[in-house]
Amino acid sequence: MADLPLAGIRVADFSWFGAGPIAGQTLAAFGAEVVRVESEAKIDSLRVVQPFAMNPDGTYKTGYNVSGYFNNFNAGKLSIQLNLNTEKGQELAYRLIERSDIFLTNFTPRVIEKWNLRYEQIRQVNPRIIAAYAPMQGLEGPHRDFLGFGAVLTPVTGISELSGFPHRPPIGVGTNYPDYVVNPGHTVVAILAALRYRERTGKGQLIELPQIESVVNVLGTAVLDYLANGRVQTRAGNRHPTAAPHGAFRCKDDFDSINSPDRWVAIACRTEEQWRALCAAFGHPEVADDPRFATLAARKANEEELEALVGSWTRERKAEDVMELLQAHGVPCGVVQNAQDLLERDPHIKARGYYQYLDHPETGRSAYDGPVARLSETPGYHRSPAPLLGEHTWEVCTRILGLSEEEVADLLAEGVLT
Amino acid sequence: MTDLALDGVRVVEFCDEIGSYCGKLLADLGADVIKVEPPGGGWQRHTPPYFRDEEGVDTSLQFWVHNTSKRSVVLDLETDEGRSLARRLALTAHIVLEDFPPGYLATRGLGYEELHAEKPSLVYTSITGFGQFGPHAQYAYSDIVGQAMGGVMTLAGEPEDPPNMIVGNQANICASIDAAQGTLLALLYAERTGKGQHVDVSAQEAISMAQETAMQTWDLQKRNRVRTGEKGMIPVSLPGWGVYKAKDGWVQLMVLAPAGKDFPALVDWMRERGMAADLDQEPYASLCSQLSMPFVTQVMMNPESAMSVIPHLVHINEVVKAFIATLGAVEAYEEGQRRQLLVGLVSTPKDLAENRQLRARNWYRSVEFPDLGAVVEFPGPPYRLSETPARIGRPPRLGEHTEEVLAELR
Repeated sequence: MADLPLAGIRVADFSWFGAGPIAGQTLAAFGAEVVRVESEAKIDSLRVVQPFAMNPDGTYKTGYNVSGYFNNFNAGKLSIQLNLNTEKGQELAYRLIERSDIFLTNFTPRVIEKWNLRYEQIRQVNPRIIAAYAPMQGLEGPHRDFLGFGAVLTPVTGISELSGFPHRPPIGVGTNYPDYVVNPGHTVVAILAALRYRERTGKGQLIELPQIESVVNVLGTAVLDYLANGRVQTRAGNRHPTAAPHGAFRCKDDFDSINSPDRWVAIACRTEEQWRALCAAFGHPEVADDPRFATLAARKANEEELEALVGSWTRERKAEDVMELLQAHGVPCGVVQNAQDLLERDPHIKARGYYQYLDHPETGRSAYDGPVARLSETPGYHRSPAPLLGEHTWEVCTRILGLSEEEVADLLAEGVLT
Repeated sequence: MTDLALDGVRVVEFCDEIGSYCGKLLADLGADVIKVEPPGGGWQRHTPPYFRDEEGVDTSLQFWVHNTSKRSVVLDLETDEGRSLARRLALTAHIVLEDFPPGYLATRGLGYEELHAEKPSLVYTSITGFGQFGPHAQYAYSDIVGQAMGGVMTLAGEPEDPPNMIVGNQANICASIDAAQGTLLALLYAERTGKGQHVDVSAQEAISMAQETAMQTWDLQKRNRVRTGEKGMIPVSLPGWGVYKAKDGWVQLMVLAPAGKDFPALVDWMRERGMAADLDQEPYASLCSQLSMPFVTQVMMNPESAMSVIPHLVHINEVVKAFIATLGAVEAYEEGQRRQLLVGLVSTPKDLAENRQLRARNWYRSVEFPDLGAVVEFPGPPYRLSETPARIGRPPRLGEHTEEVLAELR
């Protein structure tokens, strides 16, 4: 652990749901000691939503510790229960912040104010703190108190309007997409940059990640097209302006793919060579020169016909076979994989050991998303599974906050550590 | 002049579509990012749309947004001279970023092993579709293939449609964001210990985290999550839940969610506008008074109660639809939120450009293009750092800095 990049760094993690906790988890994987502050008085809803671990009889396990949704975002952390609605709870929060390098939260500005956790306040106890706030809209501004979470952010940031098929309403992308990589990732980038600045100057700082700004940033081209050209883009399905065919094509059904038997491959022909290779791979080299498809412009003009033709070539083949066939011919192609594929059937993911399996006292041996960035000399990893609620309350109070056993016992009796 | 977080850090970037957003993040935070480009430029410089729709290597908007604050050097890596200059340039850097297929740079004397042997403190980050090793490492890649293989497409779209990709090359974006994290971690370590390292990022793995709960659902319950389209997880039409057509656009309502005011507050609003129709009469009134997700879930668990209630829910939803149809989309969003109802605007790019919050906080940044005689507003950075704010510098013209950078090497 001494040789990980964030060894010796402590994070006071006052976050919840997806975006905040995932940022904390990445810091933990690379050596930081991350103390997740929680309370039954304001429970992280992800602790109590599906998917739950199951009992041998097929029923769901119950309680605060059995949700895969929560657990996958909180590996390697310590959990302390602290009721911030109490004055003593707030005092202990300050004590933790005083002893931390990084403060992390994605609570709303209203809640932050209620708990006296504004930057101007916490820097009084720790001027070197790097304080990262990730509110939905920002800490200020006319929409500051707008309600929302990932599901609202998807439409508000433009992802819904710009994704999916044009003949459908803007239904979104099936998940709260911004929560899982874009927002936590940007948060970590900002924190690491601030850490470097602090190592050189000794100065901490306030980081604000308004989630709306973070997400609109990754749709920059469409926004710039309006700002610069006045063009209002809308959704265009799976098509691409300079590639054809470009989309998902149905393959042979596969009933080993549990409750998801329809199988698809994504294909992207970006060059004429790839187009010719695709036709040859499917045994129809003559189609490459068919005037309807011989050039990109022709294929774009006859795209519906093109897609029907390619679809007829894929439909009777297994998706994996299509992928291997086209890849052998140098054509970008991949199976539209589901979670079963990723965890059990994708030989590449397995060979890379992406998923990390950890023994959790209530869920048993469970899969966690490994850290994505592989550092050759200081590889990150989850040192422990997600903590049970309050699992480390005693340890954090005594070892980190420096309380005596009597003091902790009193706080427990007073209901501060709940 | 404020401080820059990555002041004094030099990055030499051999990236096109997959990794250039990573270089942008580092450049905007203050690193000196020198982008090495092939003669004629890479894919991104040839991607529409173009500024004023004038096609050219210096006007691609996608290139612009992913390459702010960088310098550009043209070197031909297919020639000895180009490779030798690239090598000397790379050895002046603290960080090398690259997104070529694995092995491509190594065969040109620019791989991690060679450069690291000469400069042990070098951080060398490779950003590719499938990573540096494994049976698919050499697979041909494009963003949609990364989204497919990473498990997010199977979750998006209507069940009867093909799976949907997410707009904006998100597999590349995710890979770049993860690469920026890994690169900065390695930089912190190198600045402390003098030891560099190789950072390997796979776009497939990067975007797979965005499967939300699909991975854990399989792991814990051996069930695949599939795409459920407009209706979501509960396959009936629920009032105040889903996408609604407004007068001039769309809004998303999530009034049944536990956050914010409950359904009766929506009915209050409708009543004020004379659009509550018969919702104040039975059997609708008592249903409206208790409508919430837990209530609906409860009702659905009993087939008999479900059968009797569903038609009423459908009717209530028709009344909500009729109400929303009388509102402007932005009006529905702002007024709904003022009433603490969970309403989201389905923003168009125009809505984003005009968004009151983004404008009030001066998020957009003006970037000057003297050659084009234009000042263009760009999206701002993803974060606000109080001591070291990120910058949005003009993206370079192809080879704009070749002479000045090569002069340094002489």
